[in-house]
Amino acid sequence: MEKIELNWKIAGKAGDGVMLAAKFFAKLCQHQGLKVFNYYEYPSLIKGGHQTGQVFASSEAAHCQRLHLDLLFLFHPKFLDFHLDALDEELLVLINSSNFDHSQYPQLKAKVISIPFSQLARQKVGDPLTANMMAIAASAKFFAFDLTKLTDLIKKEFVDKKKIIAKNLLAIDLACDYLDQSLSNSLIECRTKTLKIDQSRKKDLLLTANEAVGLGAIAAGLQFFSAYPMTPATGLLHYLAAQQAAYPIVVKHSEDEIAAINQALGASFAGVRAMTGTSGGGYALMVEATSLAGVAELPLVILEAMRPGPGTGLPTWSSQADLNFIIHAGHGDFPKVVFTPGTALEHYELSKLAFYIAEKHQLPVFILSDKYILESQQSMPQPDLLIDNQRLSLLDTVKTGSIEEKYLRYKDTETGISPRAIPGLNKEVYLANSYEHDQEGFATEESMIAKQAMDKRLRKIETMLPELPKPAVFGAPVKEADKILISFGSTINVLQELLRLLDDKEIAKPAIIHLPCVAPFLTKDFEELFDWHKINEGRQEIYTVEGTATAQLAQVLKANSRLRKIKSLLRYDGRPFYAEDLLQWLVSAKISEIYQIK
Amino acid sequence: MSIQIPDLLSPISPTWCPGCGNFSILTALKKALIELDLELKDLVVLFGIGCSGNMADFIKVNGFHALHGRAIANAIGIKLANHRLKVIVTGGDGDLYGEGFNHLLAAARGNHDISVFVHNNERYSLTTGQASPASKKGTVGKSTPQGVIEEAINPLALAISANASFVARAFAAQLQELVEMMKEAILHEGFSLIDILQPCPSFNKVQDNKWYLEHTRALKADYDLSNQEMAIKQVLKKGPIELGLFYRDQERPAYHQELAQLKNKSLVEQFPFKQDLNLGINDFV
Ligand SMILES: Cc1ncc(C[n+]2csc(CCOP(=O)(O)OP(=O)(O)O)c2C)c(N)n1
Ligand code: SF4
Repeated sequence: MEKIELNWKIAGKAGDGVMLAAKFFAKLCQHQGLKVFNYYEYPSLIKGGHQTGQVFASSEAAHCQRLHLDLLFLFHPKFLDFHLDALDEELLVLINSSNFDHSQYPQLKAKVISIPFSQLARQKVGDPLTANMMAIAASAKFFAFDLTKLTDLIKKEFVDKKKIIAKNLLAIDLACDYLDQSLSNSLIECRTKTLKIDQSRKKDLLLTANEAVGLGAIAAGLQFFSAYPMTPATGLLHYLAAQQAAYPIVVKHSEDEIAAINQALGASFAGVRAMTGTSGGGYALMVEATSLAGVAELPLVILEAMRPGPGTGLPTWSSQADLNFIIHAGHGDFPKVVFTPGTALEHYELSKLAFYIAEKHQLPVFILSDKYILESQQSMPQPDLLIDNQRLSLLDTVKTGSIEEKYLRYKDTETGISPRAIPGLNKEVYLANSYEHDQEGFATEESMIAKQAMDKRLRKIETMLPELPKPAVFGAPVKEADKILISFGSTINVLQELLRLLDDKEIAKPAIIHLPCVAPFLTKDFEELFDWHKINEGRQEIYTVEGTATAQLAQVLKANSRLRKIKSLLRYDGRPFYAEDLLQWLVSAKISEIYQIK
Repeated sequence: MSIQIPDLLSPISPTWCPGCGNFSILTALKKALIELDLELKDLVVLFGIGCSGNMADFIKVNGFHALHGRAIANAIGIKLANHRLKVIVTGGDGDLYGEGFNHLLAAARGNHDISVFVHNNERYSLTTGQASPASKKGTVGKSTPQGVIEEAINPLALAISANASFVARAFAAQLQELVEMMKEAILHEGFSLIDILQPCPSFNKVQDNKWYLEHTRALKADYDLSNQEMAIKQVLKKGPIELGLFYRDQERPAYHQELAQLKNKSLVEQFPFKQDLNLGINDFV
């Protein structure tokens, strides 16, 4: 199959249906057999504003959004001003208007066609909302998609709604006719971008990382999810709430975040796999209870979906600046795990692993991610759909010596893991305690017992290290590269796209290290990646690439490894990194002032 | 087998002051649990943080010594995970009417099938006697040397207006009445609240046993406890503090009874040893 890539973007006001249209178009690309990445930008309001959906689809891999577009659809002519940077001569802009005044944009190189979709939708279809479908149809036509896939998709999406299906099919015909006329009138050369697409569809899923986390949770046997809505974690709440119809799950929209995490801990105590999810501000309210999970040794999985702070910050934008907060969250010393998955697939896998680690080691496990990937759709290979689950570290599943022996819930063991009884299921009863406690669970202030209890809990860190995901290396070998780029979480998507862009270039590829787990820090596995002679002689340049203003990842690396000289490429305006910008930086050492080098 | 006295025996003896009302509340709770036909394993008691919450160490049950103010939230999670458990929350007025009042109102609105027993001594006693939300206007304490400016809350009126389905007041020293009220509350299918007047001889010297006997009286025998509007009027009345069951709604289903996924089995009984993701990926293909 020849290499096919397309970049498509739609922009409108909140209420125009931009997100739905982008989702529809992304699905259409998936059904054409392409890998897809669908990135949204939107302000925190319900009507008006300027929002966009941006689909990059490729026959090879679609790691992230791309800067240069093939087709841009604007609901309103004035939105052209927002996109002037992206307008090169390769681009076709479709504007939802009966005419477009070219003279206002003398510098414009892109081809612009005005098509009055809204007007057509109102007058000829009798439903202005079908303007969206016209935009999709025109796009499909422009990219030479198989239009039957579009009609199939409409029939699937609006199943049982005959009238809506009929309207949308009419809208497609109108849009295609109109586009044919416009193209043949003036701009035939746009057709040269026509893409021939292989129809053999691969088995992929297209989903947001929020949904991937939810699917992983269900795979792992999640049964209780309590949360309070907060962007960008709300997608997980909505996905899981809908799954209540299909799975034995209870989803509780709680009165606040403090209730949410405490309800989840109650459910965990009562023996079901439990989770909560929120963003930084909501998680700030959950910190005390995280520490409770630590001392009472209750399994819990927490999704922390980062957006820019401080305060309410930029609610609908992205950030990675809760890294240090989450690593250190919770008063007192206690073991916890912080996963930082990158791709949608890794969100699925680490979400599953999070439940396993949480139950086996009886502690809180975080999935720390960000708006960028959690709310973007990305293709992932379909995982095994039939899954076997086991209960872990429960009283029944652990040998406990003689039956007469008194049950010690917090028995001091070599691994630090003690068998957990479940109220109602086991006849043994015990006290889960927020106070420091003896092995039975009763509160204690004895010095040796307190020390022993702390040592027991912290011992679990050693025990679990072999089960945690190790740093992953991409691009050039770390020991040989001149430049080493280190990232955590979603940034790997952009760095992998950067490597793809470098395929056609003369310049050397950097080594890229992605950290899927930042606490406990896998110091040994991390340090083994490097040639320490070279590092100590300063022969390699090391950069973190991160969405923080204070180089938090670099701080984490310095605290947990022998690395000392680390520079950082930072972005903290809520927007994602762009592979094209990073490429330019590698080639010319220059980068736009929207980034910062520290 | 129902619960026997030795089952509940903890290795730790109470550390409360002599004359503290918590003693009789603990005794009443134990008596209620023994007299009800419960199995020990099917019972969970949650404890707040305070003198009252210290009871966690003085009774051997499936217990959850929660964070200050949060026990009700934990209790809701427990009940939804395994609705076959009887779930009881005990804690102080500072804990349940102050730090965690939001959770109490939410639990009442949801009619979660848990029983909440508030040891109301009108003080934050464990932190050495500051005024609580239940303290009377003017109460002088170390944190309020000029007297509390706020009016005391009326937890019963608030609970009834939040549609709590069982709302009562009892007095710690009237043991048998308290035991009976606790049993009724535990058996009630839905949210139950008992505001238990608890003497604290160390930090609330005025309201000792004698004071309570002089200032309280039982609700009239012919009181209609099914009328929500009247119940609110009744608990707002000035004058002697009335003891008894003010409001009960036995029609309203408990929260877990409204969840289809809990119709046949509790959640914990439905652990997916074999999980099939075909439905979960429906929107992604
Ligand atoms: C989050 C939090 N804030 C404050 C405290 C300190 N604290 C412990 S007990 C208590 C008040 C207890 O009052 P109450 O609930 O009425 O119980 P009592 O001691 O009167 O039985 C406070 C404020 C705490 N443990 N946790
Ligand atoms: S301070 Fe008051 S509430 Fe606390 S134990 Fe003493 S008498 Fe009881």
